[in-house]
Amino acid sequence: METHNTRRPGEIVFNAALFGFSLFMFWQAYQISGFSALSSAGAFPMAMSAIMVITSAVVLIRSAGLASPGGGFAAFRKEVLPPAVLVFSLFILAYSVTLKSLGFLLASFLFLLFSIWYLERGRIGRTLLLAVVSIVGVYVIFRLVFQVVLPEGIIPERAILAAIGDFFGGSN
Amino acid sequence: MLGKLMGAVAALALFVGSASAADYPEQDIQGIIQWGAGGSTDLVMRSVSPHAEKVLGRSIVMTNKTGGVGAIATQFVASQPSDGYTLLMSAENPQLYKVMGLSNLDYADFYPVNVLARGVPVLVANNDAPFNTIKELVEYVQANPGKVKMGSTGPGGLPSVVGGMLSTQLDFKVTAVPFDGDGPALTAMQGGAVDFMPAVLGAAAEHVKAGRIKILGIFDLEASPVLPDAKPIVADYPEFKKLLPWGPFFGVFVKRDTPDEVKAKLVEAFKAGAEAPEFQKLLDDRGYIPLNISGDEADAFLKKWQSTTAWVVYDAGIAKKSPEEFGIAKP
Amino acid sequence: MMDALSYLFASWLQPELLALTAVGTFAGIYIGAIPGLSVTMAVSILISFTFGWEVNHALALMNGIFMGGVYGGSRTAILLNIPGAPAAIATALDGYPMAKKGEAGNAIGLSTVMSFFGGFVGIIVLAVAAPVVSEFAILFQPRDYMLLAVMGILLVGSLSGESLAKGVFAGALGMLLGTVGLDPMTAEQRFTFGSVDMMNGISPVALMIGLFGVSEALLQLHNLHLAAVKQKVDKIVPSFSDLKKYLPLSLQTSTIGVIIGALPGTGGDIAALMAYDHAKRVTKDPEVPFGQGAKEGLVGPESANNAAVGGAYIPMLTLGIPGDAVTAVIIGALFIHGLNPGPLLLVEKPDMFWFTVGNLTLANIFMLIFGLTGIKIFTKIIECPKGVLFPLILLLSVVGAYSINNSLSDVWWMLGFGVLGYFMKLYGYQVGPVVLGIILSRLMDDNWRRAIISEQENLPAFFYGMITSPLSAVLFFTILLILLSQTPVWKAIKMHAHPRLGRG
Repeated sequence: METHNTRRPGEIVFNAALFGFSLFMFWQAYQISGFSALSSAGAFPMAMSAIMVITSAVVLIRSAGLASPGGGFAAFRKEVLPPAVLVFSLFILAYSVTLKSLGFLLASFLFLLFSIWYLERGRIGRTLLLAVVSIVGVYVIFRLVFQVVLPEGIIPERAILAAIGDFFGGSN
Repeated sequence: MLGKLMGAVAALALFVGSASAADYPEQDIQGIIQWGAGGSTDLVMRSVSPHAEKVLGRSIVMTNKTGGVGAIATQFVASQPSDGYTLLMSAENPQLYKVMGLSNLDYADFYPVNVLARGVPVLVANNDAPFNTIKELVEYVQANPGKVKMGSTGPGGLPSVVGGMLSTQLDFKVTAVPFDGDGPALTAMQGGAVDFMPAVLGAAAEHVKAGRIKILGIFDLEASPVLPDAKPIVADYPEFKKLLPWGPFFGVFVKRDTPDEVKAKLVEAFKAGAEAPEFQKLLDDRGYIPLNISGDEADAFLKKWQSTTAWVVYDAGIAKKSPEEFGIAKP
Repeated sequence: MMDALSYLFASWLQPELLALTAVGTFAGIYIGAIPGLSVTMAVSILISFTFGWEVNHALALMNGIFMGGVYGGSRTAILLNIPGAPAAIATALDGYPMAKKGEAGNAIGLSTVMSFFGGFVGIIVLAVAAPVVSEFAILFQPRDYMLLAVMGILLVGSLSGESLAKGVFAGALGMLLGTVGLDPMTAEQRFTFGSVDMMNGISPVALMIGLFGVSEALLQLHNLHLAAVKQKVDKIVPSFSDLKKYLPLSLQTSTIGVIIGALPGTGGDIAALMAYDHAKRVTKDPEVPFGQGAKEGLVGPESANNAAVGGAYIPMLTLGIPGDAVTAVIIGALFIHGLNPGPLLLVEKPDMFWFTVGNLTLANIFMLIFGLTGIKIFTKIIECPKGVLFPLILLLSVVGAYSINNSLSDVWWMLGFGVLGYFMKLYGYQVGPVVLGIILSRLMDDNWRRAIISEQENLPAFFYGMITSPLSAVLFFTILLILLSQTPVWKAIKMHAHPRLGRG
């Protein structure tokens, strides 16, 4: 990114948040073992968080010296959080929250369906096909080949897999 | 269309789910390994499971879930239903969680399907170290307190417990340098970063045979056929008799309140697995002592292990809490 | 000698072994390319799977996966800015900018050839100098590992972008994040706030997927309906003159790769990052600046991480000591197959050694073949509409993060870092130093503490040891030299000596 003389909307808030976070982490690092020994568990985290405090202070002071961007909250919405980003992020959030309760298969299906439909607008048939194909692909690679046990949720896939296995392999 | 499909799936699930514990196992079993890929727990579990699978007629899907000295895996299995479909494949560590302040769980919450084997600790040293036996080591350490560097693997690991036993029984002050595991520590010892270390026999044997490190003695009641020349510690220091035999172990567990039929099935399967000649050979090669115990016998073993070890680490100042708080009896 | 030769070519002449190596390498490329699936994971699943096989068959498959997997990480790094594996982080730094300019095909082609070259250098060193290199590798003491970490950290300087303060902040943040969890050395909890899930710490892979991939996808949503850049696919295999130009550099970075790979405490990820730093330092005037699609930025890390494969086998085959996480699992596999990998393996079963050398060479050749075919289809991925691509990237990121340790908490970390990365990039912070920090954090923290414990907390003794041990002294003065060469004083001296050169 090129140097600019004006702050970006929200920049000072972000820098201040990082500064606050650094202070908090320094305090937390101090809580681990204080100044007890050079080899203590807290020594390295304290050194790192101290560097964070110093550098974030420098960044904060510098950004405070820049001209204010103007435009208020509207500019922030336009430049930093446009609707597409916000809505897509909410989809992701909803996906992750429901991943455990709905299970991987259902949650992923809904996520792909809604987000592709939202971003691409329309053509529901193709979206549906795409969602199914990609989920089947991911499921085969991760769950069946690599045996990553994805969250099951409300679809009892282990039981279904076993039933399919029994059906084809004959019960033992 | 979608609704119909979902309905069919739900019906199938109901049908499958209604079967009783007597038909166990009717789907794949998940085995949670509490240590990472390539570690000794991983190795032991991955080599015993194929034999157990044959008896069960289902696969055991093994998953490494590492972190928190295994506490994360232990917690996870405890949070799963008690249906025998989630196994905890683990080592000795949970028996120390309470005194180390890591978790409120230990093997009292789990049923031992099979405690497969036990490792034998040995004391090994850098070839250039000025001592050749345990006796010489102890005398050297007593003459130079704090100067000798001992390779370790962090609190609660085998070296720290053996070091704790040495320091509570004898006047034994060393500087413990912790590494990520006994492999890295043994490597560092060859480069001279530490002078000696307690290690499990299997990890050290090949290096000793090749003459890259030397063995000072065996931390057990008797010598081992793998390295017959190494003298057991009790020959010079009989006071260790009351603590031994001691060693890290591996076992397969399910939650304590799993139905009895399920437990019996699993015990049968893993007993067969532990008896398989290939598995026995693996244990022999690595210098592990086969135990193959389950149920009450295993519970007694686990209890004794916990009482010995928890008090040793507490007396050596490694533990955060007293074993007394948790009703762990003094040995 | 004849025996050695026959073992060397065993896997070339037996059809099953040839096929297994090919399958392994092919699978490896895709395992490496998919974030969250790692070579370590694949190889340990294979242990149960190949239980009843002959040992050479199992090894052929594993070697192929290892070779292909280390290379495969570069695919997604270049195309999607999501390094498939930590060893491909440095590849994303210049590979993704190339893809954005429509040169993805060219980037993949170059990285394939360079991976092949690096892999080959690693194998040659393994074949001719394994005992020497492994004796050298075990000489490294905690203090030396710490110095290596410091050397890696110097890379922050060149990754900082617009402001050094922001770069240093990001580096320190990464280092700090690397300490979260149960401290392995004291079992003390650091920044866990009492939660068991936090004890496991923050996975570098989750952080990497979030900071690189997710944040990039979110940023790209700003101009969603901008048409995707048309990819040029006519020039995939790099030209001979290009290869000749990059040969000296890739030879240097391959050497870095072999040594870092052979060290038991470090692997391909650190090798690639150090190689990137080296490439940036020795390339006086790149055609395109680093970070914007410099080809040297691909050549360095790609040749180094594949050279590290051969390197990792060196201590494993000569001493039974794993050079990295994958060789640790392979050692386990050898045990299960009834072999006793250790210092005696080379003496008792020299055929194992020559078989591995020959088989790795074969895998390396397969990697080149599979790597150079199908690039056109791959580059199509980034030409597909963003509205389809981004949801798929997110799906893959979520599943990938979940697979690292079968836990949802890694998914939350990944998403959290995706958001953080989004804001960091918007406000002019680079995310590269954060990832560098988390990768080097434990190397630095643990070894610093080991070193100072060994000196009984005596700081003067620590520094005395640093300049009296030959190895530490060399590392220490190299670091000083690099630091000096980046300061204005040095530039002033050089300007003074060669006024004309300095201005160029």
